[in-house]
Amino acid sequence: MKLFIDTQVLGPLELTVMEIMWAHGENNVRDVVDKLHRPLAYTTVMTTLDRLFKKGMLERRKSERAFIYSPTMTRTQWEHKRTGDFVDGFLSVAEPSRELLVSCLVEAVSRHDEALLDELERKIKQRREELSRGDRP
Amino acid sequence: MILPYLLRLVCLCLAAFFLFNFAAGLPLALASRAIVARANRMRARSAARLLFVLRVLPAALAFLVVVGLCVPSYLWLEPELAVEEIAAPWIATAVLGAALCFIATARAARSILQARRHARSCERLSRATSFAGARLPVWILDTPAPLCALVGIFRSGVLLSGAVINRLTAAQLALALRHEEAHDSSRDNLKRLLILMTPGLLPGVSGFRAMERGWGRLSEWAADDEAAGGDTHRSLTLAAALVRVARMGGTALAPLSANFLDDCGDVTARVDRLLHPTPPLIHRHNWTLIGSLAAVFAVAVSLLNPVSLAACHATIERLIH
Repeated sequence: MKLFIDTQVLGPLELTVMEIMWAHGENNVRDVVDKLHRPLAYTTVMTTLDRLFKKGMLERRKSERAFIYSPTMTRTQWEHKRTGDFVDGFLSVAEPSRELLVSCLVEAVSRHDEALLDELERKIKQRREELSRGDRP
Repeated sequence: MILPYLLRLVCLCLAAFFLFNFAAGLPLALASRAIVARANRMRARSAARLLFVLRVLPAALAFLVVVGLCVPSYLWLEPELAVEEIAAPWIATAVLGAALCFIATARAARSILQARRHARSCERLSRATSFAGARLPVWILDTPAPLCALVGIFRSGVLLSGAVINRLTAAQLALALRHEEAHDSSRDNLKRLLILMTPGLLPGVSGFRAMERGWGRLSEWAADDEAAGGDTHRSLTLAAALVRVARMGGTALAPLSANFLDDCGDVTARVDRLLHPTPPLIHRHNWTLIGSLAAVFAVAVSLLNPVSLAACHATIERLIH
């Protein structure tokens, strides 16, 4: 039976496992263990995959004696759903919270934009310095 | 339904236009993301030209087929009976064709009206000036909005806000003007209008949004390349100008115009490109235009002969009854 999709926050190991699943598609427990950058027990990975299946992030089918897992959605779909769930949760409460959400979002976007423009200015300055060093005899 | 001779011709033209536009446009619309991805790896000017040609090609071909094949074959071979019955699906297709043409015309007309209204109010509020080295007339508008745009379709000029003039250095301003002049040289405002006038796949369904956005982005990149002219110092000055204008906040966009900072989201990509400018092309053959004209000529020659006209008429007769 397909479980309901619950895109609650993922733990660090769950996220690492999901990154592997998004990058490689279908995997069994052994494949995931091999692709992890740090040594982890087979049973730990098996439990994590089972938890992700129960959260609706993965689906599985039986092949011979092992389960083959695959992601139920792409990373972009997951991020979209996560953001959507967060905004929906915020908007489901009283009116002032909506205004707060919008003002927080605007502030966050402005801060992000400023930081981005600072970064671009830094890149231009750095490139100018590289050029002036190259121009010098 | 029974329709008189000329009304049948109108009905036939609209239905044929709809069908050919849909048949030619559907594969392009389905492949548009792949085409844009491929275009992003080409030189900006050639890529922008390619996307523009592909965007207007389905409608242009459909128009050519209607004018060069359907109308002559009908006028030449259809007997002038007073009335004739036409199948309901054909009428429905003609209605879809009429809706398609109406939406595109209304969209273009609204943009032209907005642009004229905007130009008139700018003329009233701005003062004309000339900048050393600037090829186009410049109008200065006293507004704090970060405005720097090429306005006008056939008689173009650059609209600048006082805030932009105060914020940019003389070198940055000169390059911003060169950027707008590059838009003028490639007739980007006229192309913008033609894109608005070109119908989508179905009424209310464009199918070419990715291609249109891609054209907008690539035409900005191309204008950047032409303004910088492959010179790294000029390129960095232009990049610095972009960042300064972006810092001024949301750009006040003029209708049917090429704005210096059209889409704030693209500023990163534009600056990154300008950090490593591509050398300008030495031999500029407009292969896209030559190819399109050759294709149009080939289609026109193959259409205008008695055999194809008779075949077209026979097909239409089978379809409409």
